[in-house]
Amino acid sequence: MPSLTRRPLHHRLADRAGRVLEFLWSGWAGLAALCLLAAAWQAGHEAYGPFILTSPLDTVQAVGALAADPEAWAIGGLTLQRAITGFALVAAAGTALGVAAGYSPATLRLAGPLITVLMGVPPIAWIVLAMIWFGGSDATVRAVILISALPVVFLGAARGITTRDRTLDRMAEAFGAGPVRRFLTVGLRQTTTTLFPAFALALGTAFKVAVMAELLANAGGIGGALADARINLDIAQALAWVTVSVALLIAVEYTLVHPAKAEIDRWRRAAQPWGVKR
Amino acid sequence: MSALTLDAVGHAYLGRTILEDIDLTVAPGEIVALVGPSGCGKSTLAHIAAGLTTPRTGRVGRGYARHAMIFQDPALLPWATAAGNIDYALKLAGVARRDRGDRIAQAAGAVALEPDDLEKYPVELSGGMRQRAAIARALAVRPDFIFFDEPFTALDVALRRRMQDLVIATCAAGHVSGLFITHDLAEAARLAHRIAVLDTKGRGILGQRALAGAPADRSDEAVFAWVQAALRRNPLFRHIHDVDERQIA
Repeated sequence: MPSLTRRPLHHRLADRAGRVLEFLWSGWAGLAALCLLAAAWQAGHEAYGPFILTSPLDTVQAVGALAADPEAWAIGGLTLQRAITGFALVAAAGTALGVAAGYSPATLRLAGPLITVLMGVPPIAWIVLAMIWFGGSDATVRAVILISALPVVFLGAARGITTRDRTLDRMAEAFGAGPVRRFLTVGLRQTTTTLFPAFALALGTAFKVAVMAELLANAGGIGGALADARINLDIAQALAWVTVSVALLIAVEYTLVHPAKAEIDRWRRAAQPWGVKR
Repeated sequence: MSALTLDAVGHAYLGRTILEDIDLTVAPGEIVALVGPSGCGKSTLAHIAAGLTTPRTGRVGRGYARHAMIFQDPALLPWATAAGNIDYALKLAGVARRDRGDRIAQAAGAVALEPDDLEKYPVELSGGMRQRAAIARALAVRPDFIFFDEPFTALDVALRRRMQDLVIATCAAGHVSGLFITHDLAEAARLAHRIAVLDTKGRGILGQRALAGAPADRSDEAVFAWVQAALRRNPLFRHIHDVDERQIA
């Protein structure tokens, strides 16, 4: 009889390959959305002219020129490194604080007004403060990402814990699970429902804030390149860097956040009707 | 030595006393049904007995080696398959990985879960199949005491009967003791060796009645006659179908 605790390797590999192919196939919807955006962009270009809005084709050509330039790769890499390390910081700190607050109603009540204050302060204010504290360095960008995205991750983690199904906790306890094991096997797993959307939002914030902080703090990276394009009134170059920034965000989201979410949330697919799955 | 002893157990939520001075014993190999109207504190008492809730007063003595619990809600991990849910309990019980596959198959066989069902997630199973998986999870750890917290309340009549038969057969074959919480006197009379009635306000056990013979040997006619007689002539059971929504809330 086959093992019931672990399915054979070839079954698991076939399942995984099937999921990857389905995921790739589902990309046609994204491509269709991008085509619609390009059509609207082209219409804007034709209405206002190339000085206000360059055409999508010119922008793609500018992106191609950047792709051939090793220096552009270094600029993009610097922003990518800052955004990912900032995101990692905010994901770790926000999850730890949110989970702790989720288990402590008094802490959550105290944290509520602080979160409102943090969310009410615009990122640009934090950029000015971080520039004074850290100068035009990586630390400035990471600190602004941390402060800007922390409330979202914190609330995602805290809400995941407070809205968890407590009958599962009781079940685990009835079968002998101690507090730590209950947290690791039951509590933490249930935070994913609210934590992953928060992660996706925080990742987008990380890239946006990284570029903005680089631009304002004159700290190089894509923000610095955008500042140069602004000085030269080079719309194609500016849009090319914006495209690179968005492409980096999409690449990270679909190679980091989505695969992790798909792996953890496999069971949700079982409840989806056929038309939603594909 | 008793399998379970509750000695002057009491409990309160937010200053409101819900259980007071509860004395109850369950002998080895005996199933005791605890009946009472909704909201009288039966489930709280089961949770105290199982160690999930600390009583405010009194003591709980446990003379068994390992217990399991079957809840009204199957309480299956939604992200694990039926096999994964049974496996979770086995992991918590410290069963070696090489033995877990056989234990899952045995427990699933006992509740008539097919191998195909074991690969399904709870969301893909019907209510009855989920409850079967929950029972299989409890049986897999080979307990010598099972707490049943109104496990069949949400099931339809036919399925409930099949599940009751399963419990009767399992407990009789494995010499398992149990505390069966229910507000259904007919269910209690089918499954239990003894029925204890909890006060409508949780102020002690009002009384206990032993049933003749083993549950497995009891005919439907005998159960029906006993329940009719109890409801008509025995004042002990007069209030077990009362419902006070304020107490439930």
